[in-house]
Amino acid sequence: MSGRASRRSVVVGSLPLALLSACRSWEGPRGNRSRAAFWYSYGGKNREVLERLIGRFHGEQASTWIDATFQGDYFEALAKLRTSIAARAAPAMSHVVAEVVPYLAEAGVLEPLDGYPGASELDLIAGLAQGGSYSGGSERPLVAIPFNRSTPIMYMNGELLDRAGLGTPADWTELRHAAKELTRVRDGDKVWGFECPVSWWFWVAMVGAAGGKLVDDIGRVTLGGDAGVRALDFWQTLVHRDRVMRPPLGRDYNAWQVTMQDFLSGRSAIIWSSTAFLRYVEENARFPVRVAALPGDVKRSVPTGGTFFVLLRGAPEAEKRAAWEFLKWMVMPRQTIEWSTSTGYLPVAHSAVAELEASGYYVAHPSDRVALEQLESVEPWPWSPTLFRVQREIVDPLLEDAVIEGAGAADALETARREASAP
Amino acid sequence: MKPNKKYGPYAMLVPTLGLLGIFFLYPLFVAARQSLYSWDLLTPPAYVGWSNYAALWQKGELARAFRNTLLYSSVVVAGSMALGLAFAVALDRPGKIVSFVRSAVFSAYVISWVAVALLFMWLLDRDAGLVSRLVRAVGLPARSWLGDPHVALYTLAAVSVWKITGYAMVIFLAGLQDIPPALHEAAALDGANRLVRFLRITWPLLRPSAVFVATTSLIMSFQAFDVVRIMTQGGPVHSTELFVYAIYEQIFMNLRVGRASALVVVYSGLILALTLLQLRAWRERRVA
Repeated sequence: MSGRASRRSVVVGSLPLALLSACRSWEGPRGNRSRAAFWYSYGGKNREVLERLIGRFHGEQASTWIDATFQGDYFEALAKLRTSIAARAAPAMSHVVAEVVPYLAEAGVLEPLDGYPGASELDLIAGLAQGGSYSGGSERPLVAIPFNRSTPIMYMNGELLDRAGLGTPADWTELRHAAKELTRVRDGDKVWGFECPVSWWFWVAMVGAAGGKLVDDIGRVTLGGDAGVRALDFWQTLVHRDRVMRPPLGRDYNAWQVTMQDFLSGRSAIIWSSTAFLRYVEENARFPVRVAALPGDVKRSVPTGGTFFVLLRGAPEAEKRAAWEFLKWMVMPRQTIEWSTSTGYLPVAHSAVAELEASGYYVAHPSDRVALEQLESVEPWPWSPTLFRVQREIVDPLLEDAVIEGAGAADALETARREASAP
Repeated sequence: MKPNKKYGPYAMLVPTLGLLGIFFLYPLFVAARQSLYSWDLLTPPAYVGWSNYAALWQKGELARAFRNTLLYSSVVVAGSMALGLAFAVALDRPGKIVSFVRSAVFSAYVISWVAVALLFMWLLDRDAGLVSRLVRAVGLPARSWLGDPHVALYTLAAVSVWKITGYAMVIFLAGLQDIPPALHEAAALDGANRLVRFLRITWPLLRPSAVFVATTSLIMSFQAFDVVRIMTQGGPVHSTELFVYAIYEQIFMNLRVGRASALVVVYSGLILALTLLQLRAWRERRVA
């Protein structure tokens, strides 16, 4: 091999190394900013909106960079979050469902936020913030800041309702009647009057509407007592006696997706889902969509849903401070307005609601007002570290068993209460 | 044969034993230890003795996972073997159409489980799915194939059979092509019909292929997870909760590391027992 050829091969051989080195030293737009990892569970349209907001955050300031990573649905993301906490590799920031906040807080893995600059000045709507979302939530250290908060609402196919000459059902009796009238075989395909995921969130709404509470005043898990039985019995009536409700296939959010697909394809006339799907439904339905508060029984009552932003205590201090800057920016009126009007989630700041009112947004989009007005009948979650376990291990399987297999509601709930009281 | 160096064979075993120890035995030991604790990954573990096993037993979760897994595996192994053999015998001949059908049957095996599961969820829809429409067209009542707890497990097994039958067919085809044609010709000259030739020549000579197909499809069926995760998430009413999915559900959804570890220990014991039974059956056959 000649000397020239040898030199050439050295130069060519060094090129990848030089490129690699250049890539390592050039950090792109991140520069020397403080960085924080953020794990999120927003999919589809919500993900697009989040990424747009993060892009704007990066453009508006030069001190903080957020490394946002999608981690699957709420439950999958929670599983990964717990694993990362155990492995001491937790992100600085994530968001978790309301039911799991007390569990994580009592386990000591959430960063107390009271001492962070500006924490006490956030202009949050009480019913959606930690104070109003939990019984006694304001007496505990602040660990959760609301962002994508929701309530369950009722979506109706206006075309099918008009054809059947029906109005909006206001209570369970009217819902049952409407579901009977709307259940038909049309062009060889069955249209179901009503559909709703057979799961915790909607059952909790029904327990509240029937006048019950999940946990009594001294902290015992009662699962609503007689109201819990009445709620379960109502579902069983719709599924087995009237045969007007389709229990969707799958569990957890798979059942939610099936319910939504059935509604959009015209196979279910009335569904219960989250206000979070409002914009998605409006953009994808090929029929007029009507939206209303959930029908009441002895009263109207709904739980709140969606998630809270949390900082993880085990993350490095610099990352937590960077994450706090982003979190604070996200709940400012401009961002919460963009988020809620683009998705259907509730705006979490008073000033955001006032701005939307003043701009005439709610006049132009009356469906967005439904969830907002429903906040008057919100039942706070109990601050119970075992609530998440009661949901996952006891109530969800019980509901499935009772609604699909027709197990006796009273006996099933009695067994569930015993299991919930066991260590 | 006597080795030149006394410890030579052991030295050669070290890499395999090392990998086995690091990636199988040590994790199994950790799982066995954790199965005696109550732990949610976040709070300190608390020693609870055998309570995790007792809880799984008393709540019927162990029996349910055991029953579902064995039932699912039996249907998958028997179904894929029978169909694979039938396809192999039918398609063991030259021709462009036969070749196309062979490729078509095998193609299902190379498609991802996720795609297969999503496709079948659409086909099996109770109201609008193709399967329900066909069933109704012949005058039978359509069922909720994935929503009825008495049917869902068999539906998942049928989907799995559809997916892996092509694999069984290819193994059986290779076995069939190893059988010397002279044996069939001699038997035909002796007056043996097709059925007799299959029972006396083909099937005995295909037995090694059958054992291989049975073993590998048993392993595949015991590892089933994707199809459950996507199509039913273990429901309805836990009717499709197989062992692997039950472990996932306990640790990642219910936050119970101890109970998941107890399931892992029982599951490993079950696989070990099946392996021992299989080895014994092979040894007995060799001796015979």
